[in-house]
Amino acid sequence: MRARIGNRPVYAASILLGLACWELIARDLPRVILPPPSVVLVRLVTDSLSGLLLVALAKALPAMLIGSGLALAIGIPLGLLLGRSATLSAMFDPVINAVYAVPPVAFVPFFIVWFGLYLWARVALIFLMSIFEIIIAVETGVRDVRPQLIDVGRAFGAGGTTLAWKVLAPAISPFIFLAVRIGIVRGINAMITAELFFAAVNLGFLMNDDARRFDTSGVLSIIVLLALLGLVAQEALKWAEARALPWHVRTS
Amino acid sequence: MARENLVSRTRKVGLGLAGAAIALCVWQAIGMRLGDALFAPPSSVIVQFMPQLLDGSAIDALAGSLRQMVIGFAFAYAIGAPVGIVMARSPLIDAIVHPWLNMAVVTSIAALVPFFILILGTGFWFRVAVVFIATIWFVMLTVYQGARGIEPRWLEVGRAFGARADQRFWKVMVPALFPYLFTAARIGLTHAIRAMVLAEMFVIVGYGALLHNAGLGISTAPLLGLILLLMALGVIVNGLLVGASRMLAPWYEERARA
Repeated sequence: MRARIGNRPVYAASILLGLACWELIARDLPRVILPPPSVVLVRLVTDSLSGLLLVALAKALPAMLIGSGLALAIGIPLGLLLGRSATLSAMFDPVINAVYAVPPVAFVPFFIVWFGLYLWARVALIFLMSIFEIIIAVETGVRDVRPQLIDVGRAFGAGGTTLAWKVLAPAISPFIFLAVRIGIVRGINAMITAELFFAAVNLGFLMNDDARRFDTSGVLSIIVLLALLGLVAQEALKWAEARALPWHVRTS
Repeated sequence: MARENLVSRTRKVGLGLAGAAIALCVWQAIGMRLGDALFAPPSSVIVQFMPQLLDGSAIDALAGSLRQMVIGFAFAYAIGAPVGIVMARSPLIDAIVHPWLNMAVVTSIAALVPFFILILGTGFWFRVAVVFIATIWFVMLTVYQGARGIEPRWLEVGRAFGARADQRFWKVMVPALFPYLFTAARIGLTHAIRAMVLAEMFVIVGYGALLHNAGLGISTAPLLGLILLLMALGVIVNGLLVGASRMLAPWYEERARA
C-alpha cells in the first residue's frame, strides 16, 4: 500500500513526461499525422462542452448497459455452476474455450443477418465480447475457494443456507466484483467496436466522420475520451470493491 | 498416484467429448428448426463448406493473413517481453511504464483502427500495426507478472555462487520465467488473431473479406464454416504452445496450468 502511494508522483511524472515528448514530436509533424496533445485536449474539452461528445456518449450507453447486463446476468450463474461442479466444467470447458478462441468480430456478418445494423446487433456483439471472460473469471475464482473454509463452516454447524450466505457468499463476492469490472470495461470496449462495425452511429459515427475529413485530432479526442471512461470505470469499481469487501484487499 | 492421474485424465477427456457432442446436437437441433438462412446446422456446414475447404481458397486466405499477423506479433513479443522483465526488476521503470500500460489495456483496439488508417493507410503496415498494438501490452503484462513472482532467493543463490549478471539472467531468470514466456505467447497470439480479423474486417481484405462476403450469402453455412476454421486455428495454436511448454520445461507443468 505504501509503495503505491510512494509511486504516485512517479506515475504523474511519467504521464507528464510522455505528454511532453508527444508534444515536442508533434510540433514538427503535420497535424494530420499526429496533432500535439494540447490540441487534442482542447478539442476534447470544446466538443464535450458543446455537448457533441456527451450526447453521442449518452446515446451509446444503452446498448452497452443492456449487453453487459445480459452478459453478467447469464455469465455469473454459469460461472458459479461450472466452478462448483467438476463434471460440468470437464464437459463444457473445452466447448467454451473453443468458442472463446474465435475473434468476436468474426460473428459480425452473422449478427447482421440476425439483428440488422442497429441497437440489437450492437447489444449482441457487446454480449459476446464480454460473456466468456465473465464466465471464465467467475469459474476460476469459485474453483479456488478453499475447501477448508467450507469445512470449518460445517464443523461449526452451519447448514445449507447459513453456509451459503455466511461462508460461500463472502468468499465468492470478490469474483462477482471482478466479473462486473470485466463486464463494464469490456462493455465500453465492445460498445465502440460495435458502433464502428455495424451502422456507424453515435461515437462511431463521429470517429468515421472525423476520419473522412482527415481530422486526426477529432479521432484522437474520442479515443482519449473512451480510454478515460474505461480507466475511471475500472478505478471506481476497484474503489467500491475495497469499500465493500475490506477483508479482500487485492495486491495487484 | 500416476494411475489415479491417468484415470481422472481419461474421465476428463471422455466428459469433454460428451460435452462437445451435446453442443453439436443442440446446434444441429436448433439449426434444423431455424434453417440454413438463419443458423445452418453442422450437417449443412459440412456439405456447403467442404468444397471451399478442399479447393484450398479458405486456407490460402488464412495463411496470407497469418503472415502479416506473425510479423506484428513478433515485433510485439520482441519488445513486450523484455520490457515486462525490466519492469519487474526495476521499480522506477515499472512506475514509468505502468500508467501507460493501464491505459492501453482498457483502450479499445477498434477505436484505434480509424486513427491507424489515417496515418498508415489500409495496406500491409496498417494491419501489422493493429496486431502489434493489440498484442504488446498483454505480452508485457503477462511477463511482468511472471517475473515479479521469481523468488529473490534464487537470484541470491546465483550471486552467492559468483554468477555474473548475464549468467544470472540466462541461467536463473529465463528458466524461472519459462512457463510465463509461453503463457505470454499464448495470450499474445489470441489477441493477435483477434486483431488480425478486426483489421481485415474493417478494411475488407484477406480472410476478413471472406467472412464479410460470406455474410452477404443466402446461407449461413459458409460463414459458420469460416468461423469454425478460425476456431480450429485458435485451438491448434493454443494446444501447440501448451504442448511445447510441457516438452521444453516439464518441471513447470503445474505452474503453467495456474
